[in-house]
Amino acid sequence: MSENTYDAIVIGSGISGGWAAKELTEKGLKTIMLERGRDIVHVKDYVNANKDPWDFPHRGGRTQQMIKDYPVLKRDYPLNETNLDYWASDKDSPYTEIKRFDWFRGYHVGGRSLMWGRQSYRWADVDFEANLKDGIAVDWPIRYKDIAPWYSYVEKFAGISGNRDHLAILPDGEFMPPMQMNVVEKDVAKRMMEHYKNQRAMIIGRTANITEPLQARTNCQYRNKCWLGCPFGAYFSTQSSTLPAATATGNLTVRPWSIVTRILYDKDTKKAKGVEVLDAQNMKTYEYYAKIIFLNASALNSAWILMNSATDIWPDGLGSSSGELGHNVMDHHLGVGAGGTVEGYEDKYYFGRRANGIYIPRYRNLNGEKRDYIRGFGYQGAAGRENWSRDIAEMNIGGAFKDALTEPGAWTMGIGGFGETLPYHENKITLDKTRKDKWGLNILAFDVEVKDNERKMRKDMAEDAKEMLEAAGVKNVHTFDSEPVLGRGIHEMGTARMGRDPKTSVLNEWNQVWDAKNVFVTDGACMTSTACQNPSLTYMALTARAANHAVEELKKGNV
Amino acid sequence: MNRRTILKNLALVIGGSVLLPSCLHSDGTSYVQLKHVQINEDQQKLMADVAETIIPKTNTPGAKELGLPAFTLKMIDDCFNKKEQEAFVAGLVAFQNKIKKEHGKDFGWLDVKQREAILLAIEKAAQNAKPGAHPDPVTNFFSIIKGQTTFGYTTSQYFMTKEIPYELVPGRYIVHHPVSKLKLKTA
Repeated sequence: MSENTYDAIVIGSGISGGWAAKELTEKGLKTIMLERGRDIVHVKDYVNANKDPWDFPHRGGRTQQMIKDYPVLKRDYPLNETNLDYWASDKDSPYTEIKRFDWFRGYHVGGRSLMWGRQSYRWADVDFEANLKDGIAVDWPIRYKDIAPWYSYVEKFAGISGNRDHLAILPDGEFMPPMQMNVVEKDVAKRMMEHYKNQRAMIIGRTANITEPLQARTNCQYRNKCWLGCPFGAYFSTQSSTLPAATATGNLTVRPWSIVTRILYDKDTKKAKGVEVLDAQNMKTYEYYAKIIFLNASALNSAWILMNSATDIWPDGLGSSSGELGHNVMDHHLGVGAGGTVEGYEDKYYFGRRANGIYIPRYRNLNGEKRDYIRGFGYQGAAGRENWSRDIAEMNIGGAFKDALTEPGAWTMGIGGFGETLPYHENKITLDKTRKDKWGLNILAFDVEVKDNERKMRKDMAEDAKEMLEAAGVKNVHTFDSEPVLGRGIHEMGTARMGRDPKTSVLNEWNQVWDAKNVFVTDGACMTSTACQNPSLTYMALTARAANHAVEELKKGNV
Repeated sequence: MNRRTILKNLALVIGGSVLLPSCLHSDGTSYVQLKHVQINEDQQKLMADVAETIIPKTNTPGAKELGLPAFTLKMIDDCFNKKEQEAFVAGLVAFQNKIKKEHGKDFGWLDVKQREAILLAIEKAAQNAKPGAHPDPVTNFFSIIKGQTTFGYTTSQYFMTKEIPYELVPGRYIVHHPVSKLKLKTA
């Protein structure tokens, strides 16, 4: 037993799991990090990172075989030839869709920290107060002041580049120098902000790509190939940032191929004593024991583990006493916005491939405005010149056509919305006891959909985008709006929410499971609402905060 | 080695690395054994001639030299679904028949001016078609060859190293970079 006993267990190795491992090991705890998939070693295993576009037989596209093998991934951009190995197999790990839900997963060391979008924004008080003011769901048990120092703490270590824009809705952070807008973005931003008398802003994206060297990491080289893995370690990932720090303490053990099937609950102490692991390769079962457990398996899988940890006290799983476990599934709804062409910059171009764009922070339903929906949305976008392969009239074939292909195309500018999705109790995941995955484990069933508030918001998201671009002088503006399907945002949240009352929430203000105080859930599952900002920075801050609390409580003998 | 030999070897490397087995013709095209779609040697030669008319050899290499016909075949074989493959082959056959009927010989025996006139007529008809109208088989065949040949050309190593300035590691982002500084061959 002793060799399977640690001070702490971290389940999952993605953005929040990596942070948990770093914080706990740096505070002296012998920690084991359990990862369900294979190991991916920083740089060495980024097998496609240094390939040129012509090295890919289908130039990055998708084959019929891939489409057959990935019935879920094929629904959106993740199915591609360049980083296919980073996405979980839909065949090995199926799930039941009572309603369509697009679930794009990364089952390997580093999780989706390898493929994430890297946009990093703080929340503001308006976000933490929203549920209380609107009288929906439950109130967040924390406010901005509780998390602000932890935002600073994680920003400094992760490396976030951004501009200090002094916006109340989007608090400034501890930024590295910002990336730059190109000439068209600068002018569009200026004209847009003038038109709205600075009531709306267009800023450079705040991104977890470093613009100055940090630790052993090299600053961004403007390759824009982040999701292949970065040989320079220029964006934040478990591999580039938290894992080296945790490893350096000498306190970390990483165990890949370890599917945590349940948390072992001790009725006498009313705490968890460890976890049960199914080795994904040899199919043997192991147990690991620890004083504290951090559950960071990603929002839906963390809920799956809790639901699987049923006991005669809680037949619906550990943390199910409130009836909220697995409920309130949220994501950001997107796929709506506008784009057009920009004239007058034909002699201008840019050099390098910036792994970042512009951001328009939320402006709706603020300062007393009341739309026919609550909450709001932000936009991400960019201006660029079209590629070289556009069609040219009158030179459609032959030598002249060939020459014309080398001339840069039109400037275009596009923006796409990220909308807040409300927590609905009836949007839920449950265990499907009739179906099993490759490892013989029951899978999840999804019953999740967007509702009226999101649909009303989308009208503004399309129309506002058009209006703003036109006000900024963009021509030929067209809007787009696809059927909103949750999961597409890859921002799953809410299945084990934080709250002030054990009767209506799964976690307390320190991310502790009300029913087992030595279990901490600090991934997307803990989120009480979604705001409209990209969520990962908030997971990082909540994780560091919870880890600090966990060790303090451990020292006091409270967990 | 002169430049032409280098480029020819380059085409061999590109073709060879993505397509096996294949055998090489003296004109630089190769007959490719396909897995999911039946396109015989004559048809492949026709496709290569169409591609070469779209991206001809000028003072720089053309479609055949760059292995673009083989690339197009690979994309059709691996990435098109059955329906798309069938539609393509139907268009290919229709194109073959149309040329035979109208000109009394194969596309490959016509001179460059005639070839260009045929393809431009198809393109013009397509441009004048009602938006959203289903393309006829010949137009569909032509659009696919043109699209894939152009895609293959603009993402080829030759194009991305000799024609436009692609760098694997730019190292920096310059926000205001005049087009005149792009070092374009033709700009």
